[in-house]
Amino acid sequence: MADRYTINLDGSDVAFADGETLYEIAERHRKEVPTLCYDPRLEAFGACRLCVVELEGARNPVASCTTLATPGMTVRTGTDKVERYRKTLLELVASENREIDVDPLAGHASQELKALVDRYEARTGRFQGRQSGASREDDANPFILRDYDLCISCNRCVRVCAEREGDYAISVKGRGFDTQITTEFSGPLEDSDCTFCGQCVHTCPTGALADRKALRHADVPGEIEKTRTICPYCGVGCSVDIMTKDDRIVGVQPAMDGPANLGALCVKGQFAYDFVQHEERLKTPLVRGDDGVLRPASWDDALDRAAEGFRRVERKHGPAAIFGVASGRAPHEAAYAMQKLMRAGWGLNHIDNCSRA
Amino acid sequence: MLHAFHERDGFVSEEAIGVVSQALCIPVADLYGTVTFYHHFAQHPPGRAVPRVCDGPVCRLFGSEAILGALRREGATPMPCSGRCDDCIPVLYGDRTLVGRSSATLEARPSPLPPPNPGGVTECVFGGIREPGRASFDGYRRTGGYAGLTSALRYGVPQDVVTVITDSGLAGRGGAGFPTGRKWQAVAEAPGEPKTIVCNADEGEPGCFKDRALLDHDPHAVIEGMIAAAYATGAARGFIYLRYEYPETMEILERAIREAEDADLLGENARGPGQPFHLLVRRGAGAYICGEETSLLNSLEGKHPFPRNRPPYPVTHGYEDLPTVVNNVETLASVGPILANGAEWYRGLGLLDHAGTKVISLSGDIARPGNYEVPLGLPLPTLLDDWAGGPGEGRTIQAVTMAGLSGGFLGPNELDVTLDEPGLRARGSFLGAGGVIVFDDTRDMVEVARQAMSFFAHESCGKCFPCRIGTTRLTERLAGDGGPSELAAWTEEITDIGDVMKSTSACGLGMAAPLITESLLRNFGDQVARHVDGGRE
Ligand SMILES: Cc1cc2nc3c(=O)[nH]c(=O)nc-3n(C[C@H](O)[C@H](O)[C@H](O)COP(=O)(O)O)c2cc1C
Ligand code: SF4
Ligand code: SF4
Ligand code: SF4
Ligand code: FES
Repeated sequence: MADRYTINLDGSDVAFADGETLYEIAERHRKEVPTLCYDPRLEAFGACRLCVVELEGARNPVASCTTLATPGMTVRTGTDKVERYRKTLLELVASENREIDVDPLAGHASQELKALVDRYEARTGRFQGRQSGASREDDANPFILRDYDLCISCNRCVRVCAEREGDYAISVKGRGFDTQITTEFSGPLEDSDCTFCGQCVHTCPTGALADRKALRHADVPGEIEKTRTICPYCGVGCSVDIMTKDDRIVGVQPAMDGPANLGALCVKGQFAYDFVQHEERLKTPLVRGDDGVLRPASWDDALDRAAEGFRRVERKHGPAAIFGVASGRAPHEAAYAMQKLMRAGWGLNHIDNCSRA
Repeated sequence: MLHAFHERDGFVSEEAIGVVSQALCIPVADLYGTVTFYHHFAQHPPGRAVPRVCDGPVCRLFGSEAILGALRREGATPMPCSGRCDDCIPVLYGDRTLVGRSSATLEARPSPLPPPNPGGVTECVFGGIREPGRASFDGYRRTGGYAGLTSALRYGVPQDVVTVITDSGLAGRGGAGFPTGRKWQAVAEAPGEPKTIVCNADEGEPGCFKDRALLDHDPHAVIEGMIAAAYATGAARGFIYLRYEYPETMEILERAIREAEDADLLGENARGPGQPFHLLVRRGAGAYICGEETSLLNSLEGKHPFPRNRPPYPVTHGYEDLPTVVNNVETLASVGPILANGAEWYRGLGLLDHAGTKVISLSGDIARPGNYEVPLGLPLPTLLDDWAGGPGEGRTIQAVTMAGLSGGFLGPNELDVTLDEPGLRARGSFLGAGGVIVFDDTRDMVEVARQAMSFFAHESCGKCFPCRIGTTRLTERLAGDGGPSELAAWTEEITDIGDVMKSTSACGLGMAAPLITESLLRNFGDQVARHVDGGRE
């Protein structure tokens, strides 16, 4: 018996909450319904139609991502029929793009299409014809590669920019097969409202929008390793995955499950990490001599010198004259030690950080 | 607002987009994208003034390509069927429509009246349309117009109107055939104010030109239907969404609305003392998909005209997310006569157990093209041969389309159908908006199918994958540039694409388009075989 909040999902009665879609319920029950235009953070769009499921009483399969569950529905998520449709859809999608295989450094979601095409064995070469995308090689911004030859018009980038970033920098132009992702008047991103937050890059399921900085390291040998940490730049506390190959940073990706950011970052957290491995980065302390020139010194010498400076100020003006500013580009541990020094060392709360974003 | 700039400057400039974007608080990138969606918005001079020549499926039969060639010097561009198939070929110069079979004979003339009913059957929507002066308020009144509405307003309650319409069996004449009474009932009961009545006058389906005839020659009938709908549902505002290609109709409608306002039938007290109903005309900008009701609503709201996901339906979440009736022109024009003559009268107009009538726009290779109001259930051969004079001398009919192009073809052995939804759906087609295009035995059906599919590809909104990619792949295959060169594999590709489009597309466009290829394969296997094997050697 169907009571108020159950549906029959692939033969078992399952409960659901008011407002849940068929896709969300299926996902909870690990049905692995394929999707391409879906991003759980965004309003469901219903474009790729891969998520279709059979609903008893409906003439056609329904898109599970946009269909709200109602009590008593009988739903089948993986019948031969819908699996066949999914394969045909993927063959069609594969036929409109230059390539399916992209480097994982392109972006967080960049392997989605490849994974599905492989899961459905859809590399059949059927449905050959015109290709739909038009890459913007002229957009020379240093961060985001706009390789629309790989674009499948899933609209995730447009929606993430509007719904999550609130920027409305990009939109769709044209219609039908000529649909293209665009900025206002088709200009480069730099001339648009784009803040280079990178969210569009990391929701893109094909690598059409790609992390240009990370891709510089595509040819570096070695496996990509991800280290979860918190972006040091400001107080929001966005979770990030630092991507490394052989202990070298090759990129940063936002953590989709980061409690503070849910996959969002700003331009600094996303792209401003070059300083870490920069050749001009200081590797030893420098101490200024009487002639005003900075010279390498040992840690002991440098710390003595700093302590002496602090003491001099304290003697002359009292501890209230001391103020500490920690660097946003220093590790969290250093920032912690810095405030400890101020609070425990002098009993002051004269402490700030350079990156009050 | 965009139309104002388009009319003033002849094109929509970047400055204009900037100004409108600020005024309406729409992001520039979104507005820019939306402007590029509509094929009639020019973005560069000379823009709007350049002639646009209809290259719809009927005009192609009668020389549109020659006209296009002749006008190339003036920068002429093709436009999809613009609803003048009974008197072609239309060429749009700014806000003027000229028609003629060659570039030398182009002239401005009003759209044709429906021919007198050859079957002598009682008509509903065409009952008064041929009366002289009918398009004016006085003429309409004099010939019985507004009588049904006036007595409903005077002697009844709104629910009575809903009941009459429900009992009459009137169903949507715009394509989907949803029962009109039930739609009105749902809007009457739905919470949220203000409610809206939208008249769908987008008439983008190739081979359909009935709404143009109704609006040009009987505009008050449509207004009467809208007021009745407003009264029945409690709606305070209404829009007529008119396709770009009917500029003369725009003027006729604006005059008719002013007349109705002057007579207090529209305005502050339209539904009774202190109960307003205000009516505005809004102009499309060239997009077939904007006839799809949820895409139309997005377009009215200035949003990107992708169809919305349903449910929720417009009856609860329509214009500005409030309860909204969307009805076709013909549906609304039927309402006045039904209120005047009663539900039983209308029901009785159909044959057997089919309720009412339907206007068929008949065109192509047929002696007397035109709009014919037929009793539902009429045998197709009666219409083709007895009413409209059959195909040309010495010719036979090879195929007819249904629902304009959306219902695909009926082949030479499938013409024994009756004109009603159950009968046609059983044959894998549907009546829809009632466009029937005739092709005689001289026509290359693969080429006809290619043109039809390229229309759907051109008009696909691009939102959902099966339609966006599928319409293009089918067009390529019908054109012979792409796809396997071996018949079995070719057929399999066509069938697989068609199946996935029919079953998974997000709206009616993508679901209907493959009926073209399906019916082509069903009826014209030999022509297909010649196309696939022959075309490639
Ligand atoms: C692609 C597409 C195009 C449509 N075009 C029109 C149109 O031009 N005019 C129209 O009245 N209905 C059109 N419709 C049907 C509308 O969505 C809607 O069903 C209709 O306007 C409702 O009015 P009715 O119930 O009076 O028929 C179209 C539907 C689809 C899927
Ligand atoms: S980088 Fe951010 S602001 Fe720029 S287009 Fe992408 S989502 Fe929008
Ligand atoms: S660029 Fe990527 S996210 Fe944007 S529509 Fe194309 S495939 Fe989708
Ligand atoms: S079926 Fe075609 S027209 Fe309809 S939503 Fe999909 S792409 Fe757009
Ligand atoms: S996930 Fe449902 S249509 Fe794409």
